[in-house]
Amino acid sequence: MTSSTTTQNVLEQPPLVQGGLDFAGVTQTVVGVVESKETPKIWFALFGVSVILLLMLLGMIGHLIWTGVGVWGNNVPVAWGWPIVNFVFWVGIGHAGTLISAILFLFRQGWRTGINRFAEAMTIFAVICAGLFPGIHIGRVWLAYWLFPIPNQMAMWPQFRSPLLWDVFAVSTYFTVSAMFWYLGLVPDLATIRDRATTPIRKLIYGLLALGWRGSARQWHRYERAYLILAALSTPLVLSVHSVVSFDFAVSQIPGWHTTIFPPYFVAGAIFSGFAMVVTLAVPARALFNMKNLITDRHLESMNKVILATGMMVGYAYSIEFFIAWYSGNALERFTFINRAFGWYAWAYWIMVSCNVLAPQVFWFKKMRTNIPVMMVVAILVNVGMWFERFVIVITSLSRDYLPSSWGYFSPTGVDIAMFIGSFGLFFTLFLLFLRFLPMVAVAEVKNVMDQAHPSHH
Amino acid sequence: MAHALTADELRQQTTLGEDASSWSNRLLGIGLLLLLGSAAYAFTGPEGSWRQFLFSYHIAFCFFLSMTLGALWFVTIHHLVGAKWSTSVRRVAELTMGSFPLLLVLFLPTLFSVMKGDDGLFPWVSHERMESSHLLHGKIGYLNPTFFLIRVALYFAVWIGFARFFAANSRAQDLNGDVMLTAKMRKLAPVAIILFALTTTFAAFDFLMSLEPEWFSTIFGVYFFAGCALSFFCSTIVITMLAQEKGRLQGIVTAEHYHDLGKWTFAFVFFWGYIAFSQFMLIWYANLPEETFWFRDRFEGSWISIAVFILLGHLLIPFGGLVSRHVKRNRAALAFWAVTLLLMHWVDLYWIAMPVLHEKGVEFHLFDVSLLVGIGAMFAGLWLKRAQGGLLAPVKDPYFEASLRFKNM
Amino acid sequence: MNHDATPSNTRSHDWKVHGYVAEYGDVDSLIHACEKVRDAGYTKWDAHSPFPVHGIDDAMGIKPTILPWIVLGGGLTGLLTAFVLQWWTNAIDYPFLISGKPMMSIPAWIPVCFELTVLLSAISAFLSVLVLNVLPALYHPLFNLERFKRATDDKFFVSIEAADPLFHETNTKSLLASTHPAALETCMEETKQAKLPIAFHYVGALATLLTFIPLALIYKARFAKSDAPRVHIVWDMDWQPKYKTQKQAKFTGFADHRTMRQQIPGTVAWGDDPDASPLTTGKDAAGNWINNFPLQVDAQLMARGEERFGIYCAPCHGLDGAGTGTVARRAEQLLAANKAQGWTRPASLVGTLEDARLRRDTPNGELFNTITNGKNTMQGYGGQITPKDRWAIVLYVRALQRAKFLPDADVPPELKDKLAGK
Repeated sequence: MTSSTTTQNVLEQPPLVQGGLDFAGVTQTVVGVVESKETPKIWFALFGVSVILLLMLLGMIGHLIWTGVGVWGNNVPVAWGWPIVNFVFWVGIGHAGTLISAILFLFRQGWRTGINRFAEAMTIFAVICAGLFPGIHIGRVWLAYWLFPIPNQMAMWPQFRSPLLWDVFAVSTYFTVSAMFWYLGLVPDLATIRDRATTPIRKLIYGLLALGWRGSARQWHRYERAYLILAALSTPLVLSVHSVVSFDFAVSQIPGWHTTIFPPYFVAGAIFSGFAMVVTLAVPARALFNMKNLITDRHLESMNKVILATGMMVGYAYSIEFFIAWYSGNALERFTFINRAFGWYAWAYWIMVSCNVLAPQVFWFKKMRTNIPVMMVVAILVNVGMWFERFVIVITSLSRDYLPSSWGYFSPTGVDIAMFIGSFGLFFTLFLLFLRFLPMVAVAEVKNVMDQAHPSHH
Repeated sequence: MAHALTADELRQQTTLGEDASSWSNRLLGIGLLLLLGSAAYAFTGPEGSWRQFLFSYHIAFCFFLSMTLGALWFVTIHHLVGAKWSTSVRRVAELTMGSFPLLLVLFLPTLFSVMKGDDGLFPWVSHERMESSHLLHGKIGYLNPTFFLIRVALYFAVWIGFARFFAANSRAQDLNGDVMLTAKMRKLAPVAIILFALTTTFAAFDFLMSLEPEWFSTIFGVYFFAGCALSFFCSTIVITMLAQEKGRLQGIVTAEHYHDLGKWTFAFVFFWGYIAFSQFMLIWYANLPEETFWFRDRFEGSWISIAVFILLGHLLIPFGGLVSRHVKRNRAALAFWAVTLLLMHWVDLYWIAMPVLHEKGVEFHLFDVSLLVGIGAMFAGLWLKRAQGGLLAPVKDPYFEASLRFKNM
Repeated sequence: MNHDATPSNTRSHDWKVHGYVAEYGDVDSLIHACEKVRDAGYTKWDAHSPFPVHGIDDAMGIKPTILPWIVLGGGLTGLLTAFVLQWWTNAIDYPFLISGKPMMSIPAWIPVCFELTVLLSAISAFLSVLVLNVLPALYHPLFNLERFKRATDDKFFVSIEAADPLFHETNTKSLLASTHPAALETCMEETKQAKLPIAFHYVGALATLLTFIPLALIYKARFAKSDAPRVHIVWDMDWQPKYKTQKQAKFTGFADHRTMRQQIPGTVAWGDDPDASPLTTGKDAAGNWINNFPLQVDAQLMARGEERFGIYCAPCHGLDGAGTGTVARRAEQLLAANKAQGWTRPASLVGTLEDARLRRDTPNGELFNTITNGKNTMQGYGGQITPKDRWAIVLYVRALQRAKFLPDADVPPELKDKLAGK
């Protein structure tokens, strides 16, 4: 067509792999990081800080188990305090990884390949952080096996009509499936590291992990089928996980918790926060390890578009909730929402609205979407805002329930705060180890979306 | 794809001939006849005919409105994400979304009855009813005829405006192939999608949720939207297959496109189920009297069998039926599911609206059929008229070629 | 076959030919070569690439895998497992009511059904891809080729195995050569499999043995009996720091070191009644049973007593107070049928002709006390019946006692006829 050159200029995006890299160049860029003897100094600094925070978290958990959950600020009426807020926050972060690896795969979005490994790793670590909080929240952690349908000496079974039990199943399924999906994606890349290995130790470890993968077309055929199926399974799974998390609140009768839009609203919020976290992590990581040719500005721009879109969905849910609270004519519903916006916790509500709805609006402009400092600021603001969203939901509704006599103001304790900060230590410790020792970009998948990968005579 | 289409073949495949003209006139005639005949019976028939007419008419109206909204959504999303595969079926969607003016005209009788103070359809028109309970009293500011009129005008202004914008630019591109037109449409798509989301949500509240003025559900707009998108994909499958029966769009809409349309249909079967389940589950579990009555009324008497029928026919059976890629690539099988799901979408709307009129149980009326077919014939007749005025595919879209070459994984 | 194809570069007699391997630099040549090999009719051959190549399935003639069907089976198993699990545990084996929901709460079971369906589908997809691909297989003859290491980097390979029935030393080689490979090599493999070091066997055996230990412990824990108290790792609230009565308190806050504390002025001890009076105790100030009524006796009180007696006393003592209420009669039936034991008959409140006096001579206060605190196996009704109602019952019991053996003279004249008629 005559217009093809114009089309290129006006509509088309720049290629996904830049810097004129060929297949070997892509391999070198990613695997070179794993093989390199030089670890950036800043990596050690960050790792040191993360490990210290992780140790603080472990200390706090020990303190909690030794003393009891009274060390938290949880108390009547706000019996679900920070632990549940942190749980929902971390599970939400995890969702972007599955979205990128599964849903964008089904939608044939080639740009996912630059960031999916990265985001999937983030998913797994975030789910570990999330699983921690309900685990220790049950108080007597040594009885955690009561959560599972294991025949026991009391002849008791778990209560399957409880959303909290659905959570146990949803989160553990989510973790298992994400881990399998991630590992399956890693196998070809681990084989690449094995084949390039120069030291016997590396050859042994990566060789064992690569399972003897040899890139056979017959193996690829089954591999691709399985990958597609796992993607197709992960898509409804990711919907279900945050929907089940939302059921924890929404099946109750507490005004502000019981509203039917919660499941899709929670899912949108989860994706929103997860993408913000991916941007927060990808920008420094690509600078640190010279990945700008694989995680290009186009990748970041696409993620920022998703942040804008999901931010609008979250804003939609906020508005519809407000409208229906008024429309319901129910005094309790109306009070709850007016209380959120103008009551004791109004500060938290407005932090939430400004970070989640207003901040992403700058992404309407291409200049802002592609500006690194701007996107870092917005992404961090979104992370903050999404934590506050869960805070607003959990705390405002509980602190002002049906009986004015049992109203109260919630304040976190030092242990609450230390544990939340410590969970970042756990997350970043795992994440930094991943960046250093595993291929942070899916090498085989990136090669697959390069122009050279497509046979020309078909 | 067997071979690339020549320019002549392309013209032949995308132009409707004289046969369409006669079909169009016949359909319009049938439609008018059915609508006028039904209206005449509504005025002269036994007690209650008028209310029955209002309800059957409203359900048929909502059915075609949802399909048209789905088309507007599809075109907007196509431009928003810069999709390529859907280019060859986009014109079908553009033709479908040209139905908004017809729908506006079709809504006038309902609107007129509301303005006249007839509470046969919307109970909130009655002032006594609104003053009868504390909950209702609180929403008089929203549920009143004047504000309703303003809102409906606003919805149709947005819908007609954006539908015209996208259709006109796309047609202009048929002539000059200007890439800038695509760029222009992409620029406006984000605004369109936001206004689409808001208007569709509130239209769902106004047209369907307010039939039970006490009831409220925050997810209801999304629920209605799921039906819009589903009925759009099904109708597009049916329309393109009919066109291909008549020797049009061959080699333009390929098995690959049907596969993708089938995937979207499948996705929205699941999405609808997800939204419907969320709404049901939360209301059933919490069991609050101000909400749960809505489901209780819809499980009352023989309505329960319709509810079970929807669960099976709108979700479980099509979910199993559409999961395989072989079904999605098989014309007959895909056509079967498209028609079935269109029917089920109507049953879903019927189940939402009709229990307000027939509280005791299902009572089918001739109006349910005559008005659905009547509006459908008008809809199809005008669709053909619009299609005759141009091409059936955006042949000069910069991605048209890519769309023809497109292959699934 | 193998011995026909002895290539010249065999390094020792322990090596044999695995097959020929051709290397290509780009995707197009690979696909082109694959089509040629496919058309030549080979079956034991493969292509190798660093990423899945589009269109290679057609070029090689690979048939669709059965993997999706295995996944379907896994998914259905998960669905069924979840449903049966929830149904059996919550509706059959251990049914209990939660928020008025039915035992068979299908909507509430959907989340877990869904999750287990996905979980088992995903696990079967993951395991199938390993099993069908025969992975892990840490050794493969192709790994002997130095060149082949780039199969996971940037080069493309076609390998034809010597085990293929069509394999021919020269023909196969020339077929591959005709596809213009960047390189063409013979892949060798050892004829003998290397032996597993003996340490592996010991470690394996030990690991197998160790896995039985937890199983054995669980078995023991579930079926062994022991009189020794259970070892409590975590004490919960089974033992808590506390003082026992009659012991010395080490707590410095108690100057007298007594664990039993004196009553604090102004407080009421459990069971004490600061408002004790004949009305609530049935005793006078000296502690003797009173025999009058601390309330005004009238027809209203009598009617109240009759009603309360019917509710609280009659089920055992009978409407006439003779100790033959429904409960008592049922108990007698069960005793007679040997279905119950240890029953103490309720006392007759009206007595027999001989001991009627005895009953009647019991002071009112004592009767009141019996109702309040119970007697023998009868429980106290002080918590259920107000003092005034207890007095009303005492009054009614008095009336019953009087009516039981009433002298003729005391019968009102208007009722005499009625009695005679009966």
